[in-house]
Amino acid sequence: MVRVKSRYLLCELNVSDRSSLLLLDDRAVSAAVKAAVARTHGDYGAALCSIRFNVKYLNAHTGIVFLRFPKSCYRLLWSALPFITSIETRGQKIPCFFNCLHVGGTIRTCQKFLIRYNKQQLHRMLPTCKTKEEENQVCEAILNCSLTGGRREAFEDEFESEEDEEE
Amino acid sequence: MSVDLDQTPRSLLVCDRSSFLNEKNRISSQVEQLHFNYKVSLLLPECSSAPSHLDAVFNSFNSFYLIRNMPIYELLDKHFLKTAVYQGSVYGVSYRTRIDEDNCVALMPNGHLSLSLDKDSFELLGVEGKPSRFNHRTTCRYVVCVDLTDSSMAPGGRGYQRLLTGLRSRLQLKTDFLLSHHPGGGASLQDLLSRYDWSEHRPDVSSHTLTDLSCPALQSCDLQSCDPHSLLEWIGAVDAHISCENSSSSFLSSLVCPEPKTTVSRALSVSVCGLLLPQDVHRLIQQIRYYLEQPRLESWVSLTVHGFVDSPVSWRGNEHGVLRGGENFYSLLIFHDQTYQLHLATGAHDTCPP
Amino acid sequence: MSPADKKDKPADYQRVVLKNASPYHYMKVCLVLEDESTRLSAVDLKQFIISGLKSLYGEVGAALTFDLLKYDEDTLTAFLRVNSRGLVKLWSSLTLLGSYQNQACAFRVLQVSPFLLALTGNSRELQLD
Repeated sequence: MVRVKSRYLLCELNVSDRSSLLLLDDRAVSAAVKAAVARTHGDYGAALCSIRFNVKYLNAHTGIVFLRFPKSCYRLLWSALPFITSIETRGQKIPCFFNCLHVGGTIRTCQKFLIRYNKQQLHRMLPTCKTKEEENQVCEAILNCSLTGGRREAFEDEFESEEDEEE
Repeated sequence: MSVDLDQTPRSLLVCDRSSFLNEKNRISSQVEQLHFNYKVSLLLPECSSAPSHLDAVFNSFNSFYLIRNMPIYELLDKHFLKTAVYQGSVYGVSYRTRIDEDNCVALMPNGHLSLSLDKDSFELLGVEGKPSRFNHRTTCRYVVCVDLTDSSMAPGGRGYQRLLTGLRSRLQLKTDFLLSHHPGGGASLQDLLSRYDWSEHRPDVSSHTLTDLSCPALQSCDLQSCDPHSLLEWIGAVDAHISCENSSSSFLSSLVCPEPKTTVSRALSVSVCGLLLPQDVHRLIQQIRYYLEQPRLESWVSLTVHGFVDSPVSWRGNEHGVLRGGENFYSLLIFHDQTYQLHLATGAHDTCPP
Repeated sequence: MSPADKKDKPADYQRVVLKNASPYHYMKVCLVLEDESTRLSAVDLKQFIISGLKSLYGEVGAALTFDLLKYDEDTLTAFLRVNSRGLVKLWSSLTLLGSYQNQACAFRVLQVSPFLLALTGNSRELQLD
């Protein structure tokens, strides 16, 4: 069997004001990517972008985005991402930039990477907690997360939002 | 879906360096094997008018004949075979036919008749052939090559009859045809010419003088000289009257003369167009060698010979096609110490030049 | 790019075969305009081609370097030189250029070759009548 191959880009949306992330939706991100591709690669890029490009997943709390590109041209489309400086949604312009963390062949590998990445981030940030109380709060929050199968994504959301609090 | 936009079709460049004095040099066979020459251009540095012996060669290039609307079966005419093909060499190529869309015919000096036909014509003709190298996915072009001097192709023979009836009653291929004969000239062709609308043409000689031309410092070929592609680019730029005086920041063009360069105060560029015989080119090369024996300011001469773009054969009767450029040409750089650099170029699916 | 050396005698006879080694490609193109009286300077033409590259390949495409070697204003014929890697991009954008200042136009690509010399000796230009 042959399957149509794709590349999944795991990107992090960096914004100055975290609360504005909540305004984002799939469509806004996809429109921003398409506009950037059309600008940097013209009609040719826009045409490549119209086939099998998709925003697979968007976490409005953490700004994590999965983009799906066809494998044959993902490098070309990827090269347009740094040119995105803002995303327009609900009449508002949110200044932001994309930071690509990982490129994977399946969503599964991207998810595995994301878990590992978040764990690293937690280990890096935990020592920065000022007081014992803060640290306890974080630990408690993590322990409260349900780890039942199939809800992994939700788990990650929690994970990320904990980090946010620390900052 | 998306393909690699960076790729270009194949191109081939053969660079030979040798000396006329070396017994291994194959220059005369390389010149003779390109049968259908369209244009010869010569660049003489530090020279304002061609010396008389070179001029004489230019003006003594064999004339050639254009026959309009000639049926191809005329080439199989018994009398024509006897007076022209068996005696000496006939150079014939169809004119105003494009090898990528029309049927093309060439009669080579060794008596081989080469037909490049589209699929319908090939099937109508009913003679053995092979698929062309220039097909893409589906076969839509075939090449038929017959040796007219072969015993089976003698008038009256079976192969002869088959081809003749094929060309006369089934395919009825007619085309404008350029013909030239060595050494007989027009006399050997007169019988064929008289039956159709024909005209005689002299090769068209044009020359002009260039002043203050910057040119790469070319030394004898033992020294490391500039890379063949930039050298050919420069010769081409001179030939096409393109200015090389640009700076790297100019908007329109950044073409420059290859380094190290010198400036020659004047240069003469001469070109001859038409159906030119390899024998004439060979004669010209001999005269250039003679010209270079006298001491001069610049010690080299460049000679470029272009083949017919739409000829079905290039060197040695190998199949030729167009695709994008249809280039088959060679460029000869001769130095005063009898050494030379020869660049033979061909494109697309042609086989490697000799 | 595989130069295959066949050396018989080191200095006396040397043969090198270069495959696909040409750094540039050359194109001979002709612009056909609906209104034949329109004048176009060399700078206009280059700007026009760049605009075509920009619309098809965006800002990245517009940055493609190519040279306008020679241009004849009367026949609107030009010689272009482009990096071999950019040939397909340039050619495709020329094909898709369909209008100049609100009038229909088309580029005719007359000849393309990896050698500039080949463009000067095109036997299709032989006129005998």
